[in-house]
Amino acid sequence: MSEEAKAPGGRTPLRLAVLGSALLAVAGAGAFYDATLQRGTRAGSGADGAYRVAITASACEPNVLSVPAGRRAFAIDNRSDRPVEWEILQGVMVVEERENIVPGLSQTVTARLAPGDYEMTCGLLSNPRGRLHVTATEASAAAAVAPTLKAFIGPLSEYKVFLGLQGAELLRRARQLAAAIEAGDLAKARTLYQPARLPYERIAASAARFADLQDAIDPAAAYLARREQDPAFTGFHRLEYGLFGDGAAEGAAPLVPVAERLVADLSTLNERLRALTLTPADLADDAARLAGQLASARIPAGEDRYAGGDLADLEAGLAGIGKIVGLLEPLVRTTAPAVADELKSREAVAEAAVRRLHGPDGFPSYDKVGADDRRALAAAFQALAESLKKLNPAMGLA
Amino acid sequence: MPRDDSSTSKPFLATDRRRLLLGLGAAAGGTLAGSLCPAQAARAGTTSEAEHVADAPLGTARLQQRQPFHGPHQAGIVTPRPAAGLVAAFDVVVQSPADLERLFRALTVRIAFLTQGGRTPQLDPKLPPADSGILGPEIEPDNLTITVGLGAALFENRPWLRPFKPKHLQRMAGFPNDALDPELCHGDLSIQFCANTPDSNIHALRDLLKNLSDQLVLRWLQDGSVPVVAPAADGEKQSARNLLGFRDGTANPDSGDPATMARVVWVGEANDEPAWARGGSYQVVRIIRMLVESWDRTPLGEQQRIFGRKKVSGAPLDGRTEADVPDYAADPDGRVTPLDSHIRRANPRTPEAREHLILRRPFNYANGVTKSRQLEQGLLFVCYQADLEKGFLTVQGRLDGEPLEEYVKPIGGGYFYALPGVPRPGDYLGRPLVEALAARPSTPS
Amino acid sequence: MKLNRLLAGSALALAVGLPGLAAAKVEPSLELVQPLADYKIYISEKLQKLVDDTTAFTAAIEAGELDKAKALYAPTRASYEAVEPVAELFGDLDAAIDARADDFEKREKDPNFTGFHRLEYGLWEKDSTKGLAPVADKLLADVTELQGRVVDLPLPPEKVVGGAADLMNEVAASKISGEEDRYSHSDLWDFQANVDGAEKIFELVEPLVAKDDPAFVQRVSANFKTVDDTLAKYRAGQGFELYDKLSESDRTVLSAAVNTLAEDLATLRGKLGLN
Repeated sequence: MSEEAKAPGGRTPLRLAVLGSALLAVAGAGAFYDATLQRGTRAGSGADGAYRVAITASACEPNVLSVPAGRRAFAIDNRSDRPVEWEILQGVMVVEERENIVPGLSQTVTARLAPGDYEMTCGLLSNPRGRLHVTATEASAAAAVAPTLKAFIGPLSEYKVFLGLQGAELLRRARQLAAAIEAGDLAKARTLYQPARLPYERIAASAARFADLQDAIDPAAAYLARREQDPAFTGFHRLEYGLFGDGAAEGAAPLVPVAERLVADLSTLNERLRALTLTPADLADDAARLAGQLASARIPAGEDRYAGGDLADLEAGLAGIGKIVGLLEPLVRTTAPAVADELKSREAVAEAAVRRLHGPDGFPSYDKVGADDRRALAAAFQALAESLKKLNPAMGLA
Repeated sequence: MPRDDSSTSKPFLATDRRRLLLGLGAAAGGTLAGSLCPAQAARAGTTSEAEHVADAPLGTARLQQRQPFHGPHQAGIVTPRPAAGLVAAFDVVVQSPADLERLFRALTVRIAFLTQGGRTPQLDPKLPPADSGILGPEIEPDNLTITVGLGAALFENRPWLRPFKPKHLQRMAGFPNDALDPELCHGDLSIQFCANTPDSNIHALRDLLKNLSDQLVLRWLQDGSVPVVAPAADGEKQSARNLLGFRDGTANPDSGDPATMARVVWVGEANDEPAWARGGSYQVVRIIRMLVESWDRTPLGEQQRIFGRKKVSGAPLDGRTEADVPDYAADPDGRVTPLDSHIRRANPRTPEAREHLILRRPFNYANGVTKSRQLEQGLLFVCYQADLEKGFLTVQGRLDGEPLEEYVKPIGGGYFYALPGVPRPGDYLGRPLVEALAARPSTPS
Repeated sequence: MKLNRLLAGSALALAVGLPGLAAAKVEPSLELVQPLADYKIYISEKLQKLVDDTTAFTAAIEAGELDKAKALYAPTRASYEAVEPVAELFGDLDAAIDARADDFEKREKDPNFTGFHRLEYGLWEKDSTKGLAPVADKLLADVTELQGRVVDLPLPPEKVVGGAADLMNEVAASKISGEEDRYSHSDLWDFQANVDGAEKIFELVEPLVAKDDPAFVQRVSANFKTVDDTLAKYRAGQGFELYDKLSESDRTVLSAAVNTLAEDLATLRGKLGLN
């Protein structure tokens, strides 16, 4: 038996017993105070919305206060004749404190409070403690059941798996496309072009984070000063132009370096995606941003000017959003089932809006898709984007 | 409720209410609660409270009984035998003298804690607990002793250790009546656990396995018990009974007499043994199955002739009380005590038989049911002696062919060398051996 | 760090205060995301190999190729044994794929005894592929189903991290004794696969614990090396010798290393803040 183990001697239980009876006394007094519980009122003087508490020589006024959960400010007026300290206590733990409040002055103390019963120290230690009752609010209730960080680790890693697998597939297909171009087999390259784009669209929500790569991999001629003749016109659309557009007249030779550069950029993209650290809020944010961007820009204007493959791109982009929806939906369902239901139904509507345009020979070229159909698509994607924006607040991540 | 940390050192300062009541009751009655069996103690101690089936049996002052860890010899050899015993044999991962020292030091730390008691560390609940928790957060010493022995295999399988093997230490060879199961035999290291309650032994075993998992691999184990007896009306000490119903240990040498123990049990200068071994002792462990159904069908007279004692009193067949010494000289033909009876073969009471004394420390075991649906019961035989040849090997040799063999079958065990003690705090078990290894003439590796 | 090492030989030997025995993290960190993603990819590759290998193994049984089926049994199982922490998330499939005869009241005769060990029993004890085709079909269907269920499954981090210790417990409880593959005696294949699976998990999270507890990482790595080196002595061809070849002294070394790995890896969850 060590000295350490013996040292406290027999006094501890006695002290605990004394403390226990003190707590009982407080609890008994509390029952009495409950009957006279006074709703907290916003301080009349302050436009700051703080709860006013005055400390007199013998107590707090009010000595019992009720406030809703959340971040709350308290204006403490010292009306006693000596400097005081004001604290919010939970059991023996100090939640928030302000020391040395000089007589005659007021200080503001702000604390983030979860629902429950707290105590306030009121001047002299011999003064009775005040009681602070923090009531639950809708927001605090949501925060209480919000998924913990741990709940996002599985979905986040699963999304990184998705990025990794799609990224690898993207690179594999881009290499096949580059090989066909290098071999001068443009007919084969034309069949490989659209499939090579699809994995890129599936990971667009995350790939769009890297502006430099985005500009190299997927710039549209419309945004470049010299359009198709601009030296910055590279990436997928430059190949598309050379395979399906006017550029086809120049043959394979000008496309070879473009394809090589694309493979190199996609390889860099894979490295960046692997190193990318996603936070829980990123998933819904990125998906909402992509859905909104598709609705507002891509769908009305189209992007695949030369091959017209926008509908296949849209379907792939929606699949990428769907991956995120699938991962977050179970988490949202625990806290906000209505939000989860809306999300699933809007996802289904968007899918249907795309599928509806699928014919027996696949998707039509996008220039064949009329204004009404484009409007319907845009509405469906916009509605989905709105729904996705509700996810983070519903999961307590806002 | 937090427990008073001083409770382990001051037996009657327990803060648990029922234990406090018990302590007061025992003190008022002028008897040690420890001398009562638990049920009696419970009745004596609690009158005001209803008892429930699932309540833990009330502890007595025996929980606080503590055997010193430090001393010239290990505890658990001449220490009075408590009610629960357990012997475990291990194979060890020891490939160098440094490994051996690490093992000895780690054993020392754990044994010192377990036998002296104290509070277990409390860890974050996300981690596995540091302790099995089967005794609660506070480990009571409970009379626990932990005795470490080394097997012949430890020395023989390591060339650098071979020259240091105690002279008589050897792999247990089967006697004619043995039916040794290889899975229940031998081992690099033995640990004998003895305590008032089996739970303390199990706790200690689990503690060692958890903390020394990198070096100790369990090979076999057997636990057992000693029946608790009510004190005799005349105050006479009685030996405990084995599962054949006979008193066992009657003719043991007096473990309370240091001179006798120095001669019979402890290896000293008189023994031709390596210097590091002084203060140790040869330990014999035998798992002896008893065919109790057949035995119970054997006429009492025959049972008594086989043992050479009266079953009820434990007295020799020519005596009245257990303490009586049989007079074989008056019975040279074995008319009263048959020549092949167990006690006459084991100790013929001749002057030279004094040379062959052993200190027996056995426990009864009950392991359930055999494949033939017979009771699997027997004796966890443990004995100590300064000379294995003169001790157990000679005695067991004399017992070869005894009529008792029809009812007993040794199936496991081994021979070990119980290390000398740890003389003082800061020292560690087996240090003399480790130092002898360090001082050995360097050999080409 | 182990208690005994901390205190060995010191005057504190009897202290029971033991600060810093093992530190747990309060909350898991997002640093776990990438290791978990990498683990999922590892699992997916192993499951693909399991399906491919099982296809070949069961085809051999259905073609009545006894020797070929015997040769394919152990290597096919290895992929399953490596991913056991995930496979065990699905109790129904785990029982159908990997239950042993002891798990059934009627032992080998039980109609619910299916999967690898049922095939092993037929191939070795009966020395025949006769009557095994339906069991083989079912096994292939079950491992394919397992692969399908895992595809979109977000892996619970505590199951993955805890899986390292589970695998070592599994080795300690049934692989070290040679009772798992009792008909074919190919236990060392399973042994290595379980160890590989645990080692993979440890490697993935190692950077997360290394900074707080380098001694822990060092000890675990050393014990993995002991196990791998010891098993390497029994390599034969593409795989391992029969279990009976394992010497008693190597078995002791393996037991100690495996038990210590199980003890140490059992603290991984807490070290990473996972409950």
